[in-house]
Amino acid sequence: MLSPKRVKHRKQHRGRRAGLSRGQTSIQFGEYGLKSLDAGWLTNRQIEAARIAMTRKIKRGGKVWINVYPDKPVTKKPAETRMGSGKGSPEGWVAVVKPGRVMFELAGVPEPLAREAMRLASHKLPVKTKFVMREDTPS
Amino acid sequence: MASQTTKLSITLREPEGSRATRRLRRSGRIPGVLYGGDAAPLAFSADARELRHALAASGAVLEVTDGETATPVVLKSAQYHPVRGETMHVDLLRVNLDVAIHAVVALELTGGDEAPGVKEGGVLEQITRELNIEALPAEIPESISHDVSAMQINDTVTLADITVPGGIVLLDDLEETTVATLTPPRLATDEDEIEEETELVGEASSADAGGDAASDA
Repeated sequence: MLSPKRVKHRKQHRGRRAGLSRGQTSIQFGEYGLKSLDAGWLTNRQIEAARIAMTRKIKRGGKVWINVYPDKPVTKKPAETRMGSGKGSPEGWVAVVKPGRVMFELAGVPEPLAREAMRLASHKLPVKTKFVMREDTPS
Repeated sequence: MASQTTKLSITLREPEGSRATRRLRRSGRIPGVLYGGDAAPLAFSADARELRHALAASGAVLEVTDGETATPVVLKSAQYHPVRGETMHVDLLRVNLDVAIHAVVALELTGGDEAPGVKEGGVLEQITRELNIEALPAEIPESISHDVSAMQINDTVTLADITVPGGIVLLDDLEETTVATLTPPRLATDEDEIEEETELVGEASSADAGGDAASDA
C-alpha cells in the first residue's frame, strides 16, 4: 500500500479543501482517466482497492497510472477516550483530492473495458467521479 | 491541412477584474487576449458558441475580425474549467502568413489494433503525443498521423520514423525522441507488501545522538 518512507512531521493539521484542483486536471499519460467531482480524502487503502479493481478488470494488458499519493497523515483517538490530552496517534495516510483532479489513468485497452474498469474503481472511492477521455480533455 | 481559414468575430473590451470577467462569461461570451506582431495587445471577448466552433474547425489559422480589420491569428493557449471543461480564456497570436512559426501538433497513431504485436497481447504505449514543428501558419496540420500496424512486440518507434508533409520541420531530436513502444504483456502479480513504519526525518540521527549521550553518561 502507498505510504511515505520518511516524513518531516508525524502529525498534520486537517486543512481545508475549498476550491477546485489547481493541477493534474487533464489526462497526462494514458488515454482514459477518472476525474474527481468532489473534494475529499482518499486513503491509501481506497487507492489500493481502486487499483486492484481496475487491474483485475483489464486482466493482462493495459497500463494504469495513479496520479494521487497519500502523503498526509491522519490521526485517530482511541475508542472511549475523553476529549483532550493532545492529538491522537497516526492511523493512516490520505491523499487530498479536489474537484477536477484526474486520479487514475488507463491506456492500452478498448474504451468500453476502460469505462467498466473505471466504474468498478469509482465504487471504491469516497468521491463522485466521471470518466474522461483524452479527446474530450483539452490539454 | 488548412486550405481555408475559419472566421471569428470579436468585440474589443477593456481589461477588467474577475467580477466583470465572470459577468461576461455568464452572458455567453469568452474573454481573450490578442497579441504578437507589431501592434499592441488587445483584450477582446468572443461568443462562446462561435469560438467553440472556430477552434473545432480544421486548420490552425483563424481570421479574427473586430468589424473593421481582419487579422490572421493562431491559438497560442487556452484555459479550461477543471470540472466542466468549458473554455475560460483564450490567447490568440497574430501571425504573418509568410513567416514560419513554431507550433505544437498532435500525433495520432493509426492501425494499433491491427499490429501483430497487439494481437499477441502486447501493450502499445504512445509516449509522445505532441510534436514541436516549424511551418508556415497556413500549412500547420490539425494532426500528424503515423501507421503502427506493422509493429511487433518490443518494437520502438522514434521520431525519425515519422513522415511529415512537405514544408514542415520537426524540431525535436529525431533519434532521441521515442514516439511509441510495444511492450510484452505483464503478468498480474499481487505480491504481499510488508508494511513499513514511517520514520521521521532526522529520527535515526537523533536516536544515535541519544544513544551516544547515554553511553557518555
